[in-house]
Amino acid sequence: MPDDALPQEIFSAVLDTLIPARDESLPGAGSLGIGAIVEPKLGGFVRLVAAALAALDALARERSGVPFAQLPVEERAPLVGEVDASHPGFVESLVYNAYTGYYQDPRVAVALGLKSEPPHPGGYELEMGDLGLLAAVRRREKLYREL
Amino acid sequence: MSEEPVDVLIIGAGAAGAAIAWSLAETRMRIVCLEQGGWMNPAEYPTTRNDWEMERFGAYGFSPNGRGRRDDYPVNDDESPIKVSNFNAVGGSTILYAAHFPRFHPSDFRVKSLDGVADDWPIDYATLEPFYDVNAEMMGVAGLAGDPAYPPKQPPLPPVPLGKLGETLAKGFNELGWHWWPSDSAIATQEHRGRAACINLGPCLIGCAQGAKGSTDVTYWPAAVREGVELRTHCRVREITLDEGGLANGASYIDEHGDEQHQAAEIVVLACNGVGTPRLLLNSKSRRFPDGLANSSGLVGRNLMFHPYAMVTGVFDERLEGYKGPTGCSIISQEFYETDASRGFLRGYSFEMLRGMGPVMTALWGMSMGRLPWGAEHHAAYDDIWDRTAGMVVICEDLPEPENRVTLDPEIVDADGIPAPKINYRLSKNSRKMLDHAVARGTEVLEAAGARETRAEAPLPPAGWHLMGTARMGSDSAASVVDPHGRCHDVKNLFIVDGSVFVTSGGVNPTNTLQAIALYVADYIKQNLETLLD
Repeated sequence: MPDDALPQEIFSAVLDTLIPARDESLPGAGSLGIGAIVEPKLGGFVRLVAAALAALDALARERSGVPFAQLPVEERAPLVGEVDASHPGFVESLVYNAYTGYYQDPRVAVALGLKSEPPHPGGYELEMGDLGLLAAVRRREKLYREL
Repeated sequence: MSEEPVDVLIIGAGAAGAAIAWSLAETRMRIVCLEQGGWMNPAEYPTTRNDWEMERFGAYGFSPNGRGRRDDYPVNDDESPIKVSNFNAVGGSTILYAAHFPRFHPSDFRVKSLDGVADDWPIDYATLEPFYDVNAEMMGVAGLAGDPAYPPKQPPLPPVPLGKLGETLAKGFNELGWHWWPSDSAIATQEHRGRAACINLGPCLIGCAQGAKGSTDVTYWPAAVREGVELRTHCRVREITLDEGGLANGASYIDEHGDEQHQAAEIVVLACNGVGTPRLLLNSKSRRFPDGLANSSGLVGRNLMFHPYAMVTGVFDERLEGYKGPTGCSIISQEFYETDASRGFLRGYSFEMLRGMGPVMTALWGMSMGRLPWGAEHHAAYDDIWDRTAGMVVICEDLPEPENRVTLDPEIVDADGIPAPKINYRLSKNSRKMLDHAVARGTEVLEAAGARETRAEAPLPPAGWHLMGTARMGSDSAASVVDPHGRCHDVKNLFIVDGSVFVTSGGVNPTNTLQAIALYVADYIKQNLETLLD
């Protein structure tokens, strides 16, 4: 592992904490592999995140006797909040990229009722709608000024 | 190095340059257009990829300063609350525009006479009307006849679908008894002149992969090139050159290989829009024109007009299918377009309804509103807004003020070392009052349509799409840069046909009008070819 690479198991667990499983069919952001999108975009924040992940794991072991990644999901969030307070910018540096990475994933698109493919070339059917709603507007006098 | 002289040299291959090139082509004159950008490849537009939404912040962003494209030139807009948004390619800013395609109103040309502000245009609605009609056919305008906000007109294509979102908002306008109408849109709702029909992809603002949106690389340019116009891409003009008699005799430019060239021409036409055109004129200094070409009035670069924009967004209980359909084109309202002094401001504005957001933009909007937490509550919060947002932009008429201007930046240059434009602009009190009024009325109509929550932003910083007024048209050479036919008062074979000739801005998108002006100027040139330079 390169010196500046993040420990993947805990990194994935943190992403799963930020964006948890949506339902049984769609796991959290880390389990979906969104970390591969997030990590390259951290830039100069990668050291902060690495330090925070280490602190998080240490805190989990100290409090619960297990690594952070093995904690039940509901027990992770308070620890993330606590470490974010001691490592300002930790969560903020992850959330933007986690959200953008997660919501461009085809599996998430399907869960939201969209197609898994990008918009083109399939496109969408769209109803014209009720142009009869214009009846009231058509009855109005002209709105523009005659010169 | 010099090239064979041509009859007409057009600088800029965007909305206006394309229109005048096509119109003049029938004369069989030798016509060359120099464009600093290249041809776009619609197959590479972002909607063909799953990460399409993020491209708005990258290579397809609004600001030329953030895209990292060599074809763009930098714009110093630090001293403006509204930032310049343009694009440099064959098609110009029509590559990224929403294709909202309203005309000006008759009153827009008579602002001084009617309302006592700014100036009247030396031409009127009737002058441009036949050219609006030609432009509608060439650009493929979808719309619906019968709008009481306009003199009669007949769009050649049926309107873009309202969809559930449009219907929902229309009911809000009806509830208040306010005007609304399906938007005039340069979007092929049916196959039109070789263009495929719109398939409601949604994100028109990052290029139309379908080719249904009327960007001029798929409308005028194929026809103009077929008719013999030569379009040279990746050619950036450094200056317009003069002969000893003070006539324009061509332009110096840097070609695609980085070599300096000069193209000689009998007639030069500038079509670089409201920032690019004054920039080039100011960069074309000479002994005869030490303050910039065609600038004896001192007005080149002055009277810059944007349209101050506001955005009002509502959150609805029902899903609206807002991710379907042209993002900026649905319905328009001009209830508050014409002047009513009791409102506390002069002139008026349009509401243009927006479709909803895609999944990523929904998340970012939720973040920016502080309503999308991470953790256990995330999905419930997201579902509360996903596909439940709809809104509008407000386009306020901007009045000309000499202090709002384009100059040359003393330090910043483009990739070829040519000085970049600098923008100085402040929002007027009239615009501020108009924005406040529009936000209040926009909120009212969204609530009438059923929004349970609304948010507004005004002015909208990245909304400097419309660039006007910096080489204004007029009959008085001391008070304008070009005459009523787009010809520079100071240089009789130099024409300007873009948004810089606008005297006032109207309260609608300007592309249709600036193209109509380009066609009108072309018609004048064609009708007077034999005596044009006498």
